[in-house]
Amino acid sequence: MAQAATHRFRRRLLKALHFTGLFLAMSVICLPGLWIVLNSFRPTVEIMAKPPVWIPTELNLDHYRAMFGGIGQGGVPVLTYFQNSLIISVTSTVIALLVGMAGGYAFARYRFKGKATMFVALMASRAVPGVALSLPLFILYGRIGIIDTHFGMILVYVAMNVPFTIWLIDGFFRQVPKELAEAAEIDGCTRWQAFWRVEFPVARAGIASAGIFAFLTSWNEYALASQLTRSVNSKTMPVGLLDFTSQFTLNWGGMCALAVLMIIPALVLTFLVQKHLIAGLTFGGVKG
Amino acid sequence: MKRKAASSALALIAGMGLATAALADGEFAGVTIDAKLIGGQQYEALYARIPEWEAKTGAKVNIISQKNHFELDKEYKADIAAGTVGWCVGSNHSSFASQYPSLFTDLTPLVPAETVAGFVPANIAAATLDGKLLILPRAQFDVSALYYQKSLYTDPAKAEAFKAKYGYDLAVPETWAQVKDQSEFFAAPPNFYGTQYAGKDEAIVGRYYEMVVAEGGKLFNDDFSPAFNSDEGKRALQWFVDLYKAGAVPPGTTNYLWDDLGNGFASGTIALNLDWPGWSGFFNDPAASKVAGNVGVAPAPKGSAGVRTGWSGFHGFSVTETCANKEAAASLVDFLTNEDSQKLESSAGPLPTRSAVWDHVVAEAASDPYKSEVLAAFQETAATAFAVPPTPYWIEATNLIYPELQAAILGDKTVDQALADAAGAVDNLMKENGVY
Amino acid sequence: MTRAKLPPWLVLLMPAVIILAAVVLIPLLLSLYSSFTAYQLTRPETLYRWIGTFNYVKAASDPNFWWAFGRTVLLLTIALNTEMLLGLGLALMVSKVTRGQRALRTAMMFPMMFSPILVGFQFKFIFNDNVGLVNNALQSLGLTDVAIPWLVDGQLALFAIICAEIWTSTSVFAILILAGLFSIPQDPLEAAKVDGCTAWQSFRFVTLPFLMPFIYIAMAIRSLDVARAYDIVQIMTNGGPARRTELLWTLIGRTGYVDARMGYANAMGYISIFLAIGFTVYFFRKLTAARVSLGMGD
Repeated sequence: MAQAATHRFRRRLLKALHFTGLFLAMSVICLPGLWIVLNSFRPTVEIMAKPPVWIPTELNLDHYRAMFGGIGQGGVPVLTYFQNSLIISVTSTVIALLVGMAGGYAFARYRFKGKATMFVALMASRAVPGVALSLPLFILYGRIGIIDTHFGMILVYVAMNVPFTIWLIDGFFRQVPKELAEAAEIDGCTRWQAFWRVEFPVARAGIASAGIFAFLTSWNEYALASQLTRSVNSKTMPVGLLDFTSQFTLNWGGMCALAVLMIIPALVLTFLVQKHLIAGLTFGGVKG
Repeated sequence: MKRKAASSALALIAGMGLATAALADGEFAGVTIDAKLIGGQQYEALYARIPEWEAKTGAKVNIISQKNHFELDKEYKADIAAGTVGWCVGSNHSSFASQYPSLFTDLTPLVPAETVAGFVPANIAAATLDGKLLILPRAQFDVSALYYQKSLYTDPAKAEAFKAKYGYDLAVPETWAQVKDQSEFFAAPPNFYGTQYAGKDEAIVGRYYEMVVAEGGKLFNDDFSPAFNSDEGKRALQWFVDLYKAGAVPPGTTNYLWDDLGNGFASGTIALNLDWPGWSGFFNDPAASKVAGNVGVAPAPKGSAGVRTGWSGFHGFSVTETCANKEAAASLVDFLTNEDSQKLESSAGPLPTRSAVWDHVVAEAASDPYKSEVLAAFQETAATAFAVPPTPYWIEATNLIYPELQAAILGDKTVDQALADAAGAVDNLMKENGVY
Repeated sequence: MTRAKLPPWLVLLMPAVIILAAVVLIPLLLSLYSSFTAYQLTRPETLYRWIGTFNYVKAASDPNFWWAFGRTVLLLTIALNTEMLLGLGLALMVSKVTRGQRALRTAMMFPMMFSPILVGFQFKFIFNDNVGLVNNALQSLGLTDVAIPWLVDGQLALFAIICAEIWTSTSVFAILILAGLFSIPQDPLEAAKVDGCTAWQSFRFVTLPFLMPFIYIAMAIRSLDVARAYDIVQIMTNGGPARRTELLWTLIGRTGYVDARMGYANAMGYISIFLAIGFTVYFFRKLTAARVSLGMGD
């Protein structure tokens, strides 16, 4: 009797702890972000106030209005930046996933000489600091004439994301028992068919998460984009953020407004891809 | 503030359409000028005038890059490296121009002498390197004056306490020694500080540089060997160190750049603030600043040598050496810096670089006491302003000097040691590059 | 079908190899060459001034470089380990939630939506000593009556940077570990329960070994990717004040672009590449070992 009571008590305590822990963690994760969202609606005088204004007394859309306003009124070509970001990120993600699936499959399913070295070499290409890369890349791009183009940016982001995608997808393909595919092949499928019917659905979770990572990396990348883009032809949103700074001033409210526009699509996409992530992940339990 | 400025800018465009300089109609028909122009709200109002120039000359302007100043600087360097310099007109800054010795062309043969004569002579001098006129300045002249909270000087209790402690009357400071006394007097951390200063990058070196000059010293000798490891140099640095030690400046000040300083003063927590003209509107705008209505502006104080601080610079436009049609490019640069353009730009607050426009701006502001006060203070400071030393290694030298200045301010090193280290490093740099 | 002659793994890997060679390898060779020259961005002719190993010797004998090197290793070690532990904790907590998990998971990934450059600005304002969020909160709550110079004090500045870094990147660990948690077969866990293992024991001896490959993947990916922190550090402190937060990347970036000494910057860059490769190889070894012990491939 008493044992059951302590057991129940412990269970409740654990539950409370779990809830508090989760709540605290989520607060820490979300508050700095929400602070940015809030700032985008506040007049500058309140953001920088001292003593601080904790409860906003005035919320308005001034920063957004200014951002969409004309030249000289604080206007920034947001829609163009948005379009550039979208085209570059989506295309490079799709290509990186295709290339990464091929590569990941090769590593997970084939044995060959020098495999480990090859793998490390591919990964190490990601280890190159952008600083060491950006200038030679710029010179190269200058010669070919693809500076400030979508194509140039897409190429860079594919290269940036491929090692990462290969690695992730390789890990997930390894989770799929070889026997599954072999069974399918015995049933008369070609290796190609076996891949799409058996292995791909199981590894979909991995592909989805690799996709999210690749997309977010391209969507948010700044260092290389600031070098390889120049004008509205290809400037992406992170580079556009710097439009709110000048030599002496920084329009933090305006920056926050643009940041909100950057975050929303990424958030929506992540939320949507979650569905596939869950569907794919449940396969994990099937295999045993 | 921004909206008001923009609408008055529009009114100006409408009103001045007839008065533009005499350009031959269709002179450059079919020419396309690729331009890299500085972006940012403060600078972009002017670009609304470009279509007017296009209509006049028949040429077309293609803005191929629009970034903030520091990004543009990186881009120019990358362009020189990659040889991608097929464009024609670029924004430039007097403090940075010496870094691109081969990129831009001499404007003297391209612009009529009487046009050049219309600019403030000191600005033209700073735009000229090795006898080449590299930049035509736009109405973005920068020198710093002292902003202060007026209410601090109208409180009799404060005046009395100050006099008792320091032995002279509390008034808006005229020397940097007074700034130091008053800053220590006003400071009440963590909610209120006497003053603040830019604490990193080129910014603090610039502030230090002008203080050395105000103390009667020099940053570099004529051969660009370091000259700041001197008594004047030490006194100048000591001023920054003392304020920091006394807690009269925010403890984070060594990490501040211009935006932090401006926002800090606007938050009402700083008594005295040496700052740029671009902030004058912002500080007096109730939607952006808590000190609106309480802002006074005085000329930059003087150092112990009786010299005002006055580190200055300006934005302008240059034409590349490789430009295919330099005449058209120079015509655009001329247009963007002519009287009408400067009137338009300075109507929003920035200071002009043409003598006639200064007169115009001062006359315009006669009915607005705050604006008049701002202009008077800046005009007074501008009279004795000076540019950065004309060496291509200026920026690189500042990167060697500023960590040492910070080390002294934070107490990691003594003033003597920090300046000796900085001077040694700059000496090495100059020698390594064969300057002497 | 001539393609059939090539082994299938090579065909599959070909696109990746070609793209990486074009975008990474060739530029890298170019910068390797320039690290042996006196190359200055603003003087293109210096690209042909061969100066041998001068740049490397200069870097290796510069104490500022080695301080930056050591600080970078320290930062990486602290940040990666903390992120891993927090990520593991977060993933475990989220995995136990039964309702609203999808929304929770999206919220968990919230910081990943923030561009590093934005994070830099954000945390610079949060940690501002005068009008910053943290000091304002501490002062309003009466916890302190001084303005703490978060971005100036040597230790605090590093702490602030690590905070920003952890805030952005813990989600990466959490989401990968969460994915790992879901792919754990249930049988061994149930077996452990039947055998009377405590929750801790079944976590320690069943769950954790299964998670290890995922943890190492996350670690390795992060250690590769951690140079992204450059944007954050550059905005927050740019290595200052008085070089107290100078990291390899800020040093290299400033030398290369602001001072325009690309040759020297590339030499330092190459030394730091070896650091990154070292971390990667280390985690890769660990990953392979963990996989072998689980019998997952070769």
